[in-house]
Amino acid sequence: MKNLEELKKIRDRVRKDLELRTGKHRIKIVVCLGTCGIAAGARETMNTLIDLIAKKDTPDTIVTTAGCAGFCQQEPMIQLYIEDKEPVVYGKVDQKAAEEIFEKHILKGEIVEKYLFSKGK
Amino acid sequence: MKDLADHLFDILENSVKAAATEVKIILGIKDKLFFCKIEDDGSGIKDEDVTDPFVTSRKTRKVGLGLPLLKRAAESTGGSLQIYNSEKRGVILEFKIDIAHIDAKPFGDIARTFVDAIYSWPKVSFDIFIQKKNNKKLSIFNSKKIREIVSYSEMQQKEVRDFIYDSIDRELKKIKIDSQFGMF
Repeated sequence: MKNLEELKKIRDRVRKDLELRTGKHRIKIVVCLGTCGIAAGARETMNTLIDLIAKKDTPDTIVTTAGCAGFCQQEPMIQLYIEDKEPVVYGKVDQKAAEEIFEKHILKGEIVEKYLFSKGK
Repeated sequence: MKDLADHLFDILENSVKAAATEVKIILGIKDKLFFCKIEDDGSGIKDEDVTDPFVTSRKTRKVGLGLPLLKRAAESTGGSLQIYNSEKRGVILEFKIDIAHIDAKPFGDIARTFVDAIYSWPKVSFDIFIQKKNNKKLSIFNSKKIREIVSYSEMQQKEVRDFIYDSIDRELKKIKIDSQFGMF
């Protein structure tokens, strides 16, 4: 590990940025990363979502991961938890689908029926 | 699994599921063989063949494919995979893959695998080394050292993730963990 000085500089920048935002998360995206999800390309889905959060500047959204949800044929799957709303599960979410879901559901609150797997608990 | 990076992420998840708090990874290339050793301090394995697809620790289903798939990916190149309990606590997993073999999977983005692992399991400490030609180990990432500088939430920010990615990727490329076909 080199360049820890450089990391300190980055940290100071990031810290200032984080202080400006009050850190409450309103939206949680869970990406299923079991063997089945990984094989289906779920890491690309996860990275697409993380990048979109930074690009579209939506700091109230976080991405976390989980294991296999038991519907391996639907992978990559994501679960979407929005405050005060019923959780929504999407299936077969490749990079393109992730972009569409981000644009429509996360930014505008519209469910994307095309990729919908289940709604509610 | 389309590349070795996917396999690697998958078996790192095994360690996390076995409640490991520290995972040590050593990577290297020697005589056209890519080797990887992973040591964790998780709950270990029972005395059974975990590379059999019909053996799994999970209770919801009777199959587990992660290890058998990697074992086959290794053996189809003339390589090997071993997994055994460590004398201390946890598991040691080693595999070797002939990366010049026609059936070898491409490396994929190994640095991205580590960044994804660090992001996905912030409470697990990762300690990553590469083994140089002179058998010396070089530390290329250490969660504990990074955490002395940045907090969990800072580590999840893009700029910090990019920094970690670049510093790991640069070292992996130096020992040619990125190019594969035609490298010899």
